[in-house]
Amino acid sequence: MAAVMVLLSSAAVWAQNPTASGVINGTLVNKDGITLLFNSDPQSVTLGGAGTSAASLDFGSISAFGPLAAGVTRPTVTATNYTVRSLFDIQVIQGGLTSTTYTLQAQLAAAAPTGLSYRVDAITLGTASQTLQTTATYGVDIQHSLDLVILKAAPGAGGPATGTPLTTTINFTATAN
Amino acid sequence: MTSGRGGKVLAILMCAVAALSAHATAQTSSAQLSVNLTVQSSISLIFKDNASVGTAGFCPLTNSGTNNVGLDLGTAAFPGNSHTSTCVNYTHLNGAIYQVSSAFDVLVTKSNTSSPTYRLAAQTSTVPPNGVTWLIDNTALTTGFQTLDTADNFGQAITKTLQVQVRNNVPAQVLQETITFLATAN
Repeated sequence: MAAVMVLLSSAAVWAQNPTASGVINGTLVNKDGITLLFNSDPQSVTLGGAGTSAASLDFGSISAFGPLAAGVTRPTVTATNYTVRSLFDIQVIQGGLTSTTYTLQAQLAAAAPTGLSYRVDAITLGTASQTLQTTATYGVDIQHSLDLVILKAAPGAGGPATGTPLTTTINFTATAN
Repeated sequence: MTSGRGGKVLAILMCAVAALSAHATAQTSSAQLSVNLTVQSSISLIFKDNASVGTAGFCPLTNSGTNNVGLDLGTAAFPGNSHTSTCVNYTHLNGAIYQVSSAFDVLVTKSNTSSPTYRLAAQTSTVPPNGVTWLIDNTALTTGFQTLDTADNFGQAITKTLQVQVRNNVPAQVLQETITFLATAN
């Protein structure tokens, strides 16, 4: 009986198809990095290029007493100057880092036009970097205010040029903590 | 042989240091926000209580300090020099017309303009009943703008007097008028 079972087993082995095997050695270099995006804030000016790192914010025509574009407010008018404001959001995304927060800085790309000053979150900007936040959270829209403070003086007397489009670039930098 | 092994060790160390320094550099991301605007010159007109408010001829404004105010001259009648308001001036101009008046201030300010002065005009919103005339500083108003001043200075309050002249044959009624002031930079 045992001899018969051995013969049957041997026959089954010879009946299988031949096989082959192999492996793939996959490699991926996962780099760390962060990116900063601008997003429009509800109730404020809609950004051009929202969702990118190169956006634009158009205040339109501004004045001390006249109408303003939708989304632009005028929080103060004093004897010497007035302020117009719009809000915008910044979202910083990170990957591959153990960092949980970032530092946000900003600076003007060039000197502000005559009669104008720029404030982000009430911090006046110049061509040197200014720290806006030291422990901002990744992955969420964080609201920021952009104030333009305009002198009421006439053009040529310390006030800004009128009737002429003015453009200023603000550079933002997010640094992982 | 020894110097060869030393060179390998040095190379490995340099690689390690380079790798470490690469990790030690904080990750940063930069972005640019372009801000666009056009500044326009503008001027503002507000009405204010005169410094003598409360005395005869200077009634208080409601919403003083704004460009939309109220001025209540009270109740008046031709017979008997009758008037209820203590802050108005009441006079009989002749045998058939009485006048009630009160003064207030107009302040026009400017921004981002080199204009030194402004023109001031005013008009009524409706034609008053027969026998009733609304005036500012003795200029009778109509539904078209009447020039009051041609070169007032910005930032300096000027006092204007509103007068209502009523003939004695005007029926009893509420006299109400909206007077629009217009300042134009010169």
